[in-house]
Amino acid sequence: MGKPKFYDFCVHAVPDGENSVEQLAALARHLGYSGIALANHSDKLPQSRSMLPSTREFEVFNGIELVEENPSKLHGLIGKFRKSVDVLIVHGGSETINRAALENPRVDILNHPAFDKSSGLNQVLAKAAAENDVSIGLTLRSFLHSRGPRRVRLLSDLRANLDLARKYDVSLVLSSGAMSCFDLRSPMETLALAEVCGFEENEALEAMTIEPQRIIFRNRPGLGHIREGVEVLEEGDYF
Amino acid sequence: MKRLLPSLRAKKRYLAFELISEAPVSRNDLVKEIMFSASSLLGDVVTSKCDIKVLGFEDWKGIIQCSHTKVKETRASLATLTRVNGKKATLHVLGTSGTVKRATEKFLQNHTVFEPEIKTKFKTAEE
Repeated sequence: MGKPKFYDFCVHAVPDGENSVEQLAALARHLGYSGIALANHSDKLPQSRSMLPSTREFEVFNGIELVEENPSKLHGLIGKFRKSVDVLIVHGGSETINRAALENPRVDILNHPAFDKSSGLNQVLAKAAAENDVSIGLTLRSFLHSRGPRRVRLLSDLRANLDLARKYDVSLVLSSGAMSCFDLRSPMETLALAEVCGFEENEALEAMTIEPQRIIFRNRPGLGHIREGVEVLEEGDYF
Repeated sequence: MKRLLPSLRAKKRYLAFELISEAPVSRNDLVKEIMFSASSLLGDVVTSKCDIKVLGFEDWKGIIQCSHTKVKETRASLATLTRVNGKKATLHVLGTSGTVKRATEKFLQNHTVFEPEIKTKFKTAEE
């Protein structure tokens, strides 16, 4: 097994965050990531889609984080953006939205599901997430910027969600949720922080390496892909 | 006072780091901020076990000493550092080593620190 490839699947660039895509990509590369997904909130999209800088060792994926209060409008937005993005994230935060996102198999990740006095997940939603293969996204940004009672709440919500995810086999994705360059952390630090916060070592590693790769593989099928389950492995003259 | 025997001294690890920040930072401010973020994440009891010390810091690079069993906790607490003296900053651990000499040789020499101002230049120079 070679060196694991780390991905950061929730990074916000201008006009949502503070820094440009190029700056974020350069820093992420410097820190040792193999790729990031640009996921601006859907209410703050850039006017025109800029070319994403990509090289062989470092890729910038096209993503979006949908913000919507109304479940039926959310489904509409999912249908609108699904084809054009590699990573589709839903910004959770209310019972109805969490449910709508987890029951839609076209969603990749549900970010920060916690609201009011709940961690945002329960056994019903966790089962739905596992069935529809929607990952639960955990963003580091809130852990870095809060102190005291707020962080205690965040950590206990995280533990509750982790327990549910383990029991129902829900996949997890760890990302920075960075709004600026200074919110990015190197993969090793992210792993250390995740472990201190309650992850097992292999869980944290999977959440930064295998899960993101799986999402990309699912949304960017290879050349021979015809439809789900049907794939041309070798071209040849059969007739 | 008699020095402690080498076999009785606590074992340590040395973390080489670079600081990426908006404005120049003094060593004292950095030490204060590191200790504060460690005790707020881990609590005073675990922080005391980590035995974190900033050994040297100049030219955006430096070395932090910690207990050899608490490297993970130390790294996690360094990750939670977001501001030094009110200015945004990020601490990036370059690597760990058992001796100061090796940490300096392996990670700090020939390492160019990533600065926010020159990021765009950095990118174009590479291509």
